[in-house]
Amino acid sequence: MEILTEKDTNISAAPPKKSSSQWAIARKKFLKNKLALTSLIFLIFVAIISFLAPYITTADVTRINIGEMSLEPSSQHWLGTDKAGRDVFTRLLYGGRISLLVGMSCTLFVILLGTLIGAVAGYFGGTVDSLLMRFTDFILNFPFLVFVIVLNAILFGKVNGLWVLIGVISLLSWGGIARIVRSKILAEKENEYIIAAVSIGCSPAKIIVKHLLPNVLSTIIVQATITFASMIVIESALSFLGFGVPQEIPSWGNMLDSAIEPDVLQFKLWIWMPPAILITITILSINFIGEGLKDAFNPKSRR
Amino acid sequence: MLKYAFRRILGMIPMLFLISIVVFTLAKLMPGDSFSGEIDPTKTNPQYIAEMREKLGYNDPLPQQYFRWIGKFVEGDFGKSTRYKIKVSEVISEKLPNTLLLGFSSIIITYILAFFMGLYSGRKPYTVADNLIGGLNYLGLSIPSFIAGVFAIFLFSFTLGWFPSNGSIDIGMTEGTFEYWLSRLHHVFLPAVVLGLLSTASYTQFLRNDIIENSRKDFVRTARAKGTTEKKIYNVHILRNSIIPLITFLGFDLVAIISGAIITETIFTYPGLGQLFLQSVGTRDYPVLMTLTMLFSFLTLIGNLLADILYGVVDPRIRLD
Repeated sequence: MEILTEKDTNISAAPPKKSSSQWAIARKKFLKNKLALTSLIFLIFVAIISFLAPYITTADVTRINIGEMSLEPSSQHWLGTDKAGRDVFTRLLYGGRISLLVGMSCTLFVILLGTLIGAVAGYFGGTVDSLLMRFTDFILNFPFLVFVIVLNAILFGKVNGLWVLIGVISLLSWGGIARIVRSKILAEKENEYIIAAVSIGCSPAKIIVKHLLPNVLSTIIVQATITFASMIVIESALSFLGFGVPQEIPSWGNMLDSAIEPDVLQFKLWIWMPPAILITITILSINFIGEGLKDAFNPKSRR
Repeated sequence: MLKYAFRRILGMIPMLFLISIVVFTLAKLMPGDSFSGEIDPTKTNPQYIAEMREKLGYNDPLPQQYFRWIGKFVEGDFGKSTRYKIKVSEVISEKLPNTLLLGFSSIIITYILAFFMGLYSGRKPYTVADNLIGGLNYLGLSIPSFIAGVFAIFLFSFTLGWFPSNGSIDIGMTEGTFEYWLSRLHHVFLPAVVLGLLSTASYTQFLRNDIIENSRKDFVRTARAKGTTEKKIYNVHILRNSIIPLITFLGFDLVAIISGAIITETIFTYPGLGQLFLQSVGTRDYPVLMTLTMLFSFLTLIGNLLADILYGVVDPRIRLD
């Protein structure tokens, strides 16, 4: 191709330009969106320093140090120490590790489960669809927080706490994604290329995975960012209430639970302010990324 | 329409039945029973405990226990709280008014705030004030309610001293007086704002975008061409069209208030159903726990039903069948 155009340079000025793919357009649009890009960089930065926590700080996160209780920020303890004498900065890093891990794992499970159920229901339709959707309605009609708290109280202590939490949250929150994926698949499967795929004998699994899912992927990605933000909120809210990540593991929500004591809330700002601000900025930046992606995938938006 | 609503309400019955089975199973799966929480085994004869367990039917087969529980439940007998030693219905009816007040105030504050902010932003989009409101909205959508609560207490209760940080009423108030209600409103305001934060942000956003969209439509151009004043166009013609879709959010609000109340009431130590629920989990007060879970599930069902029906009312193009 290139050789040909080189030869033809004297005849035609430029070779026919290949129009960019949907993904290339989206990437270009996203990279132009400064707010979303800054948010993404911030999020990656938080994730990296959180996951490298053991290399960045040397302080012990779990050891209770009665001699250094509730110290104000100083050169030794950048953000002071909490009521048990643990370094707040160290706990913030380790807490980020847990909060982001819980958020990501829940998002992954929710998206996988929701996409699977939504895609199967949407593609097959009929009885399969109505059965699966009744089940989805059933899950969606549970008051989410109430059941997560009850389930955590039951399972607590029997299995490793963190994975119980991730499992419980994921099992109760895939309903919304399933509904969205189903409606997208329902619209998409009416296209001729699907009929063509069926007529040449593609198996349903292949049609769903190779033909349908790539076309609804942009929706799924946008939903995944929204889910990620809400999962971090849910984890920290549950930990704050004492029904989330076990007390001995630091997480952003766990770090905040001492803010319920008036003394800490009023006079020891360094204990609760850093995790509170960090959670908010993290959620904010995830939301900005989500908005940016939504905009980037939207063919109508011109930026 | 009516037929659809009626069918949906009938459809709730099997759903409630399924949820009741789940609630019962979960309660049975929870570690220990009210005996292990309340009775000191060193002081009470173990034989007596075993006898009481038998007498109260804790050893019966599970389906039998379930039908006994659900039978009484339907008749309105929710059992006796093992913690307060009084009927569950009494425990709940004592806290219910507080949560109702919180929920109502939250919805009203949401409506008022969103109405004015949305109206202003929609009328003057892309101005400084609009961007400010937009920024606040973003914050409202992103900040988790418990963090907003913590900040609100720190700022408005401790630093500024405007609002009380806990409880639902000042001590020493006589019920029914004007001061009594004033004190209650004073206590409920901050939690209600925090509870309604998320919906305020989404209402405002919706109203703004809808007003901007409507202001480009033909009927607005016609109105302008006729010489209708700008004020009248916005306050009458556009507002009427933009405000109606908002009622579809009411159902979701109901659902959000249930989860929100658990968190908000805990932060503000506001004695309502959410706080009672967390207490009952902690103290293994199963009769209260099961009744509250059923109540919350029922309200969630109602909320979702309301949302679906209101969609049909607002937009007749959505066919309900």
